[in-house]
Amino acid sequence: MYGFTAISTHNGWAMAIAGALIVFAGLVVLSSIISQLHKVLLFWEKRHPVFKNNHKMPENDKPEGQEDTPVSPLPKEFPTDLDEIARLYQPLIDEIGETFYLSDLYEIARKNDFPHPHITFTAFRESEILVPCGDGVFSWNPPTENEDNDNG
Amino acid sequence: MDLLFQFLSNTGYYLADYRNVIMIVIGSVFLYLGTAKKYEPLLLVPIGFGILVGNIPFFKGFGLGIYENNSVLHYLYFGVTTGLYPSIVFLGLGAMTDFSSLLARPSLMLLGAAAQMGIFFTLLGALALGFLPREAASIAIIGGADGPTSIFLTAKLAPHLIGPIAIAAYSYMALIPVIQPPIMRLLTSRQERLIRMPELRDVSKKERIIFPAVAVILCCFLAPASIPLLGTFFFGNFLKECGVADRLAQTARTSIIDTATILLGLTVGASTQGDVFLTPKSVAIFVLGAVAFSIATASGVIFAKIMNLFLKEKINPLLGAAGVSAVPGSAREVHLVGQSEDPENFLLMHAMACNSSGVIGSAICAGILWSFMIVL
Repeated sequence: MYGFTAISTHNGWAMAIAGALIVFAGLVVLSSIISQLHKVLLFWEKRHPVFKNNHKMPENDKPEGQEDTPVSPLPKEFPTDLDEIARLYQPLIDEIGETFYLSDLYEIARKNDFPHPHITFTAFRESEILVPCGDGVFSWNPPTENEDNDNG
Repeated sequence: MDLLFQFLSNTGYYLADYRNVIMIVIGSVFLYLGTAKKYEPLLLVPIGFGILVGNIPFFKGFGLGIYENNSVLHYLYFGVTTGLYPSIVFLGLGAMTDFSSLLARPSLMLLGAAAQMGIFFTLLGALALGFLPREAASIAIIGGADGPTSIFLTAKLAPHLIGPIAIAAYSYMALIPVIQPPIMRLLTSRQERLIRMPELRDVSKKERIIFPAVAVILCCFLAPASIPLLGTFFFGNFLKECGVADRLAQTARTSIIDTATILLGLTVGASTQGDVFLTPKSVAIFVLGAVAFSIATASGVIFAKIMNLFLKEKINPLLGAAGVSAVPGSAREVHLVGQSEDPENFLLMHAMACNSSGVIGSAICAGILWSFMIVL
C-alpha cells in the first residue's frame, strides 16, 4: 500500500497533526514556566522573614534591648570613589540576593543611612555596576580591580 | 593440502562478496571524513571503524558476527538494542549542557519545537512510500538530527532498521556544514541575516538548578515514553548545576559518555553487514533522512520568520535552523552563516538556546511516536 491511501489507512494524518501539536504545546508550556522562573525566585527571596529562615524570629519577638544593627556600618567620611562605594554596598547586595528590584536596593540603602542612593544608583548604572536584566530587575556586577588590592 | 584449502576457504578473502566491499568503502569514507575533514570525528571514527569490523566476512556459525548469539559483538550490541547506550549518552549530554541562554530567552524554545516538524512530515512521507507505521516512525525521527534518539526509538520500534537509520542520522549530523547553509540562505534575505540579537541577561544559579527538575517533570508527564532519554538528560544537568556532585557530573560528561559513545559507534557500525544493510529499504531511508533533515531546518527558519511578524524586537531567522538537535553543530553553523554576513554578529549563544531546546523537543517526539505505536 502506497501514497495517501497508506497514510490514511495507518492513521498517519492524525498521528502527524496530534504529534506536532503535542510537542508544540509541551515546549510552549515549558518556555512559559521558565520565563516566569526568575520572577518566582525573586518573589521567594523577598518573602517575609519568618518564612525565609526558621531560625530567625520576627522583629516583634526579638528580646528587648536588642536593636536592629545596620547591614553595613558606614565610615564617618563617605568615600567619593565609585569602586569604594560599591564595596560598601556589597553587604546590602548579599542581603537582598543576586538579582533584585531597584526599589528594594533603594529601601535597604535608605534604612542603612547610605547618602544619596538615587545619585549613586545612576552612577552605578553608568559604570555598569548595576546591570539591567529587564522587567525592572537588576543584577550586581561588582568592580573586580579592587579585589586584587584587597588580596595584595 | 586439504587442510590448507579448507583454511583458505574460511578466510575473508574467499568469503567476501561485493556488498562487503561496498560497505568497507563506505566505512573508509566515514573514517576519512572524521579524521581528515574533522566532521563529527567522535561519532564518525567509531562508526567508520565499526563498519570495517562488521564487514569482514567470516565463517557463519563461529559466533563471530554481531547478529550471532554469544558473540562478543552481540553482547556489546545489547546496549543498542535495549536503548541502554542512548540513555547513557543523554546522561553525559545533560552534564555538558548549559541552559543559561535558554533560560535567559525562553521564547527561543519555540524554534526548537518548530524544527521538529521535519519529523512529522517525514512520518507521512515514509508511510506514503509503503513503510509500516513502526518503521515510518523510526525513519521520521532522523528529522530530529539526534543520533542517540534515533537509535533509541528504532531499537524499540523497528530493531531491524537500526543500522541504516543510525548511519543516516549520524551522516546527516556530520554533513550539517553542507546541508544547512544553503537552506538558510535560500529562505532568508540579507537584511534578515543581519539582524543582531540583544545581549542575554545573566541567569542565576538557582534558576539553573531548578530548571532540570521542573523540565523533567513537565516533559515526562507529557510523554512518559521519553523518560529513558529525558530522565537521564535532566539528571545529568542537575548533577552539573547543583554544585554538590561535581565529581559525578565530571564523570558523566567524560568517562561515562565517552565509553557509551565508543561502544555505540562501534556496534552500530558493525551492525551494517553488507548482506543486511544494502537493501532498497536502506536507500529509501537515506533519501527520507535527507528530506527529514532539510524540512526540519526549513521549518525552524520559516517559523522564526512567522514569529517576526508578531514580535516588536525581531529575531534573526537563521536561529530557526539551530532548532534541530544536532548539538553543537547546527548552532555553530548558524553562527558562522551570521558572521559571513556581519563579522560582528554573534549568534552562538542564542543558537545554543534553540539547539538545546531541539534536544528536548526531539526526545519528546520520540516519546510521543513510541506512545502512538503502542496504541496502534
